[in-house]
Amino acid sequence: MSQLSQSVPVLNVLIIDDNSARVAAVQNALTGTAYNIQHLASTKSSLLKEVESSNADIIILDMESPNRDTIESLSVISNYNPKPVVMFSTQDNPALLQESISAGVSSYIAGQIDPLRVKFILDVAVARFNEFQELKQELRDTKEKLSSRKWVDQAKALLIEKQGITEQEAYTAIRKMAMENGEKMEVVAKNLVSMAKLLAGGR
Amino acid sequence: MSSVSTLTPTALLNQIEKPQLDLGIVALTDSAPIIMAQQLGLFTKWGLDVQLHMQNSWATLRDKLHTEKLDAVQMLAPMPMASSMGLLGPACPLLTAFNLSMNGNAITLSQPLMHEIKTLNHGNMPALPLNATWLANIIQQRNHSQSDKPLTFAVVYPYSCHHYQLRDWLGSAGIDVERDVNIVIIPPTQMTKALADNTIDGFCVGAPWNTKAVRDGIGCTVITSCDIWNESPEKVLAVTQSWQCANPNTFLALIAALQEACEWLAFPPNRFETAIKLSQPEYLNEKLENVAPALLDSCLTSLDNTARNIPAYLRFYTHQANYPTLDQGHALLVDMQRAGQIPQNLSDLQLKQWVERIYRPDLYQQMRQIQQQAASM
Repeated sequence: MSQLSQSVPVLNVLIIDDNSARVAAVQNALTGTAYNIQHLASTKSSLLKEVESSNADIIILDMESPNRDTIESLSVISNYNPKPVVMFSTQDNPALLQESISAGVSSYIAGQIDPLRVKFILDVAVARFNEFQELKQELRDTKEKLSSRKWVDQAKALLIEKQGITEQEAYTAIRKMAMENGEKMEVVAKNLVSMAKLLAGGR
Repeated sequence: MSSVSTLTPTALLNQIEKPQLDLGIVALTDSAPIIMAQQLGLFTKWGLDVQLHMQNSWATLRDKLHTEKLDAVQMLAPMPMASSMGLLGPACPLLTAFNLSMNGNAITLSQPLMHEIKTLNHGNMPALPLNATWLANIIQQRNHSQSDKPLTFAVVYPYSCHHYQLRDWLGSAGIDVERDVNIVIIPPTQMTKALADNTIDGFCVGAPWNTKAVRDGIGCTVITSCDIWNESPEKVLAVTQSWQCANPNTFLALIAALQEACEWLAFPPNRFETAIKLSQPEYLNEKLENVAPALLDSCLTSLDNTARNIPAYLRFYTHQANYPTLDQGHALLVDMQRAGQIPQNLSDLQLKQWVERIYRPDLYQQMRQIQQQAASM
């Protein structure tokens, strides 16, 4: 345990909560670890701005907090750097909660604050969040590749049909056009397809 | 499985699978059908023992429905789509067969922004409903001076009619929502405070929050959702598809009780009584003077201006308001797609297939048949 906390850099934890006893309990539980606690009252109207501008690495808030929609929306705002979110919950069935884990929520602190468990929960939340971010990036990359291939395939088919050339010739033609114009093959292919549609009187 | 369509009211009452229900709501003026069904004993009449659970956020209400901590919930109309398609987290197939309310939203601008608009208009209040061109002009001015921050508007949830209505209004004046303005999510209980301290320049929300902002002297309600959209479902009753499969008769009894509450709400003298109930601490905990106007088709505009009469500002029953049509579901999905919330490459046919899974007018019709039999008994 102590080895782990020495090897990781300081992580800023932003707690949005009005229950000062609970904030203190978490603070106590994390004394001497790599987690550094910042506290924010939940009723501030500038909460969103402060969360956005904070250098928080993790956000903790109560499952019943009215601010949940605000924090959750951060994960759908594209220019916001997503962060792991951990939620306090009085629910007694963490397995059920885990099933329902929604966007950006990485973990739950269920029931009483157990000092021995808080740090572990945060460690797992960070690890799980990072894993998820990597998966998301991979998925994005794959999607991009697929979409690019889809356009090139369509353009190739068009050329084969209209120009009566072979598939290899069509591919070479698109690549040549891309190189000459300093553009991606996907862009050239898209242009070819839309041009053909335009000429055919489509949309 | 026995055919449900031939079920008599007595048979239905004898075959309620789950009489004790936990129903989740976010306390708003348009929670009236659910709250009044409880107050008028209509759930009991249909063999149900319903506990209402107030939720502080839509996200938590949704999570509790997904995990069946709640049996049924009041949802923003686009939310069943978002859940079923897994737009924020794991997909959970939901269905709706009952519109709880239509219309009811409005856009309120802050006093400083209103002052800027009046200055452009030679010190006069422009005509209401406000043309969004006034905002386009202000955005243009600010772009030239490059000194001010972009206009910021708040809505309560990304998948909400408020959000799409705001986008449509701004878009009507050629404002590019992605480039020209900020849209943020703020809980309704903090909306008026955020407007008062200029964290935001305006918001699009439901009742009673626009009225409250006007009465507190911190904003001017410039346009209602009735002016932007022509009638659309605002809140719906949602359950998971698996819950409805396990409890088909309970579901019919539940929407039958809600249908009767909505019918009761259509009688204008009942609206004021409803306002009194809603304003109580266990529900909205808000002053009667803030709750009553929208229920009486009145849209307060600002402290120094007259109120507007908005026919069917909150529609609960008339014009077949409760019947959920596939077209309504489809229109919502198109709005979501235009807002960039669902993939652009989903075809119209695919959107319609989603609607058919989530919108169940057939269940609504079953309930109506049973209700008509009950009325003729």
